[in-house]
Amino acid sequence: MARIVGGVGCSHAPSIAHSFDRGLQNDPVWAPLYKGYEPAKAWLDKLKPDLIVAVYNDHMNRFFFDAYPTFALGVSDKHPQADEGWGKRDLPDLPGDAEFSWHLAQSLVEDEFDPTICQEMTVDHGILSILPLLTDTRWPAALVPFAANVIQHPLPTPKRFFHLGQAIRRAVESYPKDLRVLVVATGGMSHQLHGDRFGFMNPDWDNEFLDLLEHDPQKLVNLRHHDYMERGGAESVEMIMWLAMRAALGEKVRRIHRHYYAPMLTGYGLIVFEGADA
Amino acid sequence: MTATYRGTPIAGTTVFTGARSRQGYRINKFAMSLTDPSKRDAFRADERGYMTSCGLTEAEMDLVAKRDWKGLVAAGGNIYVLIKVGGSVGQNLLQMGAQMRGQSFEEFMQSRPARQGAAIERKN
Repeated sequence: MARIVGGVGCSHAPSIAHSFDRGLQNDPVWAPLYKGYEPAKAWLDKLKPDLIVAVYNDHMNRFFFDAYPTFALGVSDKHPQADEGWGKRDLPDLPGDAEFSWHLAQSLVEDEFDPTICQEMTVDHGILSILPLLTDTRWPAALVPFAANVIQHPLPTPKRFFHLGQAIRRAVESYPKDLRVLVVATGGMSHQLHGDRFGFMNPDWDNEFLDLLEHDPQKLVNLRHHDYMERGGAESVEMIMWLAMRAALGEKVRRIHRHYYAPMLTGYGLIVFEGADA
Repeated sequence: MTATYRGTPIAGTTVFTGARSRQGYRINKFAMSLTDPSKRDAFRADERGYMTSCGLTEAEMDLVAKRDWKGLVAAGGNIYVLIKVGGSVGQNLLQMGAQMRGQSFEEFMQSRPARQGAAIERKN
């Protein structure tokens, strides 16, 4: 039987990708972010998961508003990088796991989640900005991309993401192969990228979110989109995706690592959990 | 610019609702097309000609010509696709944001924690 062996919540941002590609790991502005990832990287190196399920959002690189899926699941053995408008980065395609992905599709649909099933799924900075900070290997495990609409309202509710995480766990635990699965959710934390409130960040709220995610996620489940947008900026509403990762780990978690840094436009958060039964 | 979301305003914020997405559909479709390198080249070679082929209105094309990101958001543009336009014309998100706030780039950068030596790092 497959089982979930860990969870990671982390911000994603084009700026992270740019800093990585420009070699700014030791730049004074960027160094705290990269140093903050070192313990997570060492943990992942030892964990050696067989598979990564990544809950994230696409930024109009794979999907557009002509037909915008609320949930979309990549089910192929390979996920090429999308060109986001400024050329592709020097990174290999991500390996997938078609067999597990189709099992996940079956299990989710039986659980009343109905993602768009994508046999061609290019991935963008929602996954690729952050993965090179979590590992020096290209790539450490097959990855199953699960994209959610957190851009065009109406969005799925925080509760829906929590239930999604529980459904992902049931899918993993009903898979016959002995896979060790890592669940990653990306996005946030506080940021607003438009209007007079451009550049808004709220480190106090971000850290409260991290506290609640660990100890009392139902408080986060019970908030409205409006609360997230007001506290963290309109674009920060994507933090609700972290609830899927949290729920996938079960009721109690053991925190392995936590880091937060807010230098420029986005509160960069990172949290690493293991299930208390791991 | 204040928009309401389910009747409740969030100051300085334009929530990307269905109504916004309908309003900005042409702009956003044009912007998304720039993920194709050959279309970026076509746009850079002849901005007006390329935008005309995308069906943008004169007013929408003027906003792009003026790099008026604030105006483009007001016209229904979504920031995640507008940054593809920015990328094609050599503006990054920080520069676009400064314009939206009505500040110079340098003024905006001075407001950033890293520039003020006050970037907030927390480990617990």
